[in-house]
Amino acid sequence: MTGIRDRAAIIGVGTSPFVTKTPASPMRLAAQAFKAALADAGLGKDDVDGLAINIGWPLGVDYDRFAETLGLRLRFADQSWTHGRFAGPTLQHAAMAVASGLARCVACVCGVSFIQERGLLGGPGDFEGTREEGGTHEENPVYGLTAPAAGAALSAQRYFALYGATSAQLAAVPIAFRKHAMLNPQAIMRTVLTLEDHQMSRYVIEPLHLYDCCVISDGAAVVLVTTPERARDGARPPVLIGGMQGMRAGRDEFLFGLPGLGIGQQRAFRYTPTEDELLVYRMAGVTHRDVDALYTYDAFSPLVWFVLERFGFCGLGEAATWTQKGRIELGGELPMNTSGGLLSEAHVSGWNSIVEIVRQLRGECGERQVTDARVMQWATAWGDSTIFHR
Amino acid sequence: MTAYAKPLPRVTPDNRPFWDAARRHQLALPRCQECGRFRYPPGPVCPDCLSERAEWTPVSGRGRVTTFVVFHKAWFPSFAADIPYNVIQVQIDEGPRLTANLVGVPNADIRIDMPVEVVFDDVTPDITLPRFQRARPR
Repeated sequence: MTGIRDRAAIIGVGTSPFVTKTPASPMRLAAQAFKAALADAGLGKDDVDGLAINIGWPLGVDYDRFAETLGLRLRFADQSWTHGRFAGPTLQHAAMAVASGLARCVACVCGVSFIQERGLLGGPGDFEGTREEGGTHEENPVYGLTAPAAGAALSAQRYFALYGATSAQLAAVPIAFRKHAMLNPQAIMRTVLTLEDHQMSRYVIEPLHLYDCCVISDGAAVVLVTTPERARDGARPPVLIGGMQGMRAGRDEFLFGLPGLGIGQQRAFRYTPTEDELLVYRMAGVTHRDVDALYTYDAFSPLVWFVLERFGFCGLGEAATWTQKGRIELGGELPMNTSGGLLSEAHVSGWNSIVEIVRQLRGECGERQVTDARVMQWATAWGDSTIFHR
Repeated sequence: MTAYAKPLPRVTPDNRPFWDAARRHQLALPRCQECGRFRYPPGPVCPDCLSERAEWTPVSGRGRVTTFVVFHKAWFPSFAADIPYNVIQVQIDEGPRLTANLVGVPNADIRIDMPVEVVFDDVTPDITLPRFQRARPR
């Protein structure tokens, strides 16, 4: 099962500045990131004939306006709904488009102003819970259950009770990512975070403390996907897509938990990853041991534990102890989110981590460079994954 | 009497019988007439057998807390006076899980697996919200 192995590659990446103070329009941020990505790739805008927008209305830019504004002529356009969970799938759509000949070069675009639109993230302006039968994070505004953090809190509480894990253990996640952010000039949160800081910080939704929740920021990232042949002619070494697997859905899935946890209508059972859950490794022809660093959607720190168990880096209920003692830090057994992630670099819906993967595999990360990085993985608590290599 | 300021449920063709039953102080869920399974949330077909034949059937209203959270941030101004307030998920004896608040129990005393039973709160003339309290011995 080689599937899409080495049939798509990343030729360039770009970002806007990541900010928390002055709101900028998502279009301006996206344009800055797009120009940076073109320069990185050594391409002009007419080389781009495909567009995959991750976050459109109401948080970001729609595909048609972006194409019009940036003067693009497209023969492939794809847009997902305004949610970070579609970062991985959007990249996959771009890879499938170039591998199947629908486009020569697809720009994956995420430009978002969470500062301007923070009213959408919980409370009266958040439509999630008022849709037919509720929202993805179990939103239920009638009972005051609102905001994405609530979903992660529901999962964390049950996980704590099932496996005897603690908030102090969970602190290892944001502390590790803060250390990474301190080595990243682009990161927003760059002051040291201690266990005491974490434990003394206010609860947002118990059991989650402030530092279990990501930065609210504005920013954009663009990733240019093309065929390996074209990528070899780019300005920088190509980063190849080795394997992929799609986002999971169904009654056994809860976005912010792993299968079997028993949130919402999920069955409660002891999850162990099946062959089907690990397709991405077979497609890429690698094993867990080959993965030099792992990147995940860390809007809330428990998601990091869930992805480790979901993909079998550790056993069920083991992530709390597994993530201690620097194991997920640079220099540890499995560095994770080496740019600082959503928790400390910026919330660019995970695209900041995709950009980091590319920069790491090209050896451009200076103080935070993973030595001899060859294979890196994007994977989420909801089961999508993409493996990259140089 | 001040008007009820908190969000009210969005009553849809699929969930209307749930809210009609709640107004009668009854907890009812759709039960598939082909395979006999209860389901929640309400939907047009049984997720197990896709049958469209379902009957709204009263359930025990008894179950156990499967998880809970405590809100310390007031996203809704109408909940600000309740901070810190809890939200629980309850697996009722018939299988499905419901989301609600636990009343009459200090937040610090809420535990996963705690037995609970439904109570009804008439918040407006039209809407009654099922909530839960600690189960009384039967």
